[in-house]
Amino acid sequence: MTPRLAWWLRRAGMYILLTAIALVFVGPFLILVSSGLKPSGQAVFSFPPDIIPRPPVLTWAREAWTAIPYFRYLLNSVIYVGVMVPVYIVVSALCAYPLAQMRFRGQSLIFFAILSTMFLPGELMLIPRFLVVSQLGLADSYAGVILPGLLSAFGVFLLRQTFAGVPREVIDAARTDGCHELRIFWHVMLPASRPTLAILGIFGFISVWNSFIWPLVVLKDSAKYPIALGISYLAGITGTDVRSLAAGTIISILPVVIFFMIMQRHVLDGMRGAVKG
Amino acid sequence: MAVSRIPGQRWYTPYLFPLPALALFGVFFAWPAVTAIQLSFYEYDVVSPPVFVGMENFVRLIGDDRFWGALANSMLFLVGLFPLLVVIPLLLAVLVNQKLPGIKTFRMLFYLPVVTSMVAVAVAWNYVFHQQGVLNWILTGAGLLDQPVQYLLDPVWALPALILVEGWKSMGTYMMIYLAGLQTIPTNLYEAAKVDGATSWHRLRHITVPLMIPYIAVSMTMAMLDAMQVFTSVYVMTQGGPQDSTLTLGYYIWSAAFEQYDMGYASSMGLVLWVLLIVMAFVNYRLTKGRTVMP
Repeated sequence: MTPRLAWWLRRAGMYILLTAIALVFVGPFLILVSSGLKPSGQAVFSFPPDIIPRPPVLTWAREAWTAIPYFRYLLNSVIYVGVMVPVYIVVSALCAYPLAQMRFRGQSLIFFAILSTMFLPGELMLIPRFLVVSQLGLADSYAGVILPGLLSAFGVFLLRQTFAGVPREVIDAARTDGCHELRIFWHVMLPASRPTLAILGIFGFISVWNSFIWPLVVLKDSAKYPIALGISYLAGITGTDVRSLAAGTIISILPVVIFFMIMQRHVLDGMRGAVKG
Repeated sequence: MAVSRIPGQRWYTPYLFPLPALALFGVFFAWPAVTAIQLSFYEYDVVSPPVFVGMENFVRLIGDDRFWGALANSMLFLVGLFPLLVVIPLLLAVLVNQKLPGIKTFRMLFYLPVVTSMVAVAVAWNYVFHQQGVLNWILTGAGLLDQPVQYLLDPVWALPALILVEGWKSMGTYMMIYLAGLQTIPTNLYEAAKVDGATSWHRLRHITVPLMIPYIAVSMTMAMLDAMQVFTSVYVMTQGGPQDSTLTLGYYIWSAAFEQYDMGYASSMGLVLWVLLIVMAFVNYRLTKGRTVMP
């Protein structure tokens, strides 16, 4: 065997392996797509699996769209993402700036207090947080869903790392030029941290779009449901056709999947920054 | 600490910036955390005012078979998720770290489940696990099963099935952490090893793994936190059944609080989980000798 042939064989084998693994990760979604497009005459489940819809129909997508207030839920998720993601990033950045670039009493106390929230189990916090939100009169409201999600230890941690990497000379130069701290924050620190801001935006979008437990606990009124909760509601309605559930589920993940595909090249860069230590 | 003030900066400036974060910390973390500790010594059903019961919740917990069952199930999750979240993602990361045309597409496909909601993932896997579904077709076809199994309705299969779903959903996250780590390893290290005649297994064993220890440590801590708090998959797929075989601590706490409105008891279980997490995080930290890249 010539070395060239061996090289080609190895490369082909590698692609076969990668494709097989990709099928494991994408397969369940392909089954959903296929089920959601099948006409009512074609069995959803069979041995061997019958994957290609003959012909593909949009009836089930339309049925899912009307079985629950689908558009409303999508709109709610857009509102949650649109409010929570920018605000949480600004809150994290504001907190991270003095932690990274100033010296003051209580600095490490503040940092560790915020980091400690990473180790609070979500289920432990659900109960008292629900009680606190109720006491504040925010139960069953958009604000009740939004406010507790605005502090992110991950965000503070990551931005502190990034801000600490901004050269002191740049900041000192800005100070000598008479910039006050807020201007430095806005015009020096934030622009210098774009990759980190991008990754926080991406992860924030994904996590808010998919949020489930907290809205489930805090909301009574289904009109305020984010889309993930809406899908669980659709799955719970007796008599929902498996095809229509499949179609509804696929529509619910399309926005976040498309968003991710557009933004994905930023993810690894940001991750690299996150774990640099 | 020497407090050196920047000229022209007022002493309170550093405290103004973190104010929004600190306010959120106080209202939605510190206050609830204190309430949770307090609540675990009370009986509280949301309707009537809380009654102080001392250690009663904890005594009840010791005699509660369902609590011990849930703890055991959570431990099984931990054991089952360990290979799926700590070991396999490292191999996946090595695979997608190669310089091949189109490798970024594969990375993205492996990461797809991370991006989608647990609810959507649960719905998708319900189709895979169906009695006439793909998994049964593969396993019976390969002769591994005599007849199709209803995975989520079978007390033996339900827990492994959920572990598989949880692991499958999160693998991409861990792969990306490892990938970020792998890209810090200088390639000339591998080239030198190749010249010395090291096989790919040797390079993995003697270069990759030792240099990846800090990342493995992070993954272990994260996997532990994830595994001990499994909730959504259980809620959407099995509700803890059949016969409590998938009742995890997370689900039991939720169900005690928001189905039985037994807030005090649920809080006491939450507190035990909290202590457990801290102990496990500490042990993990010592085991890896603090060689972690994140605190």
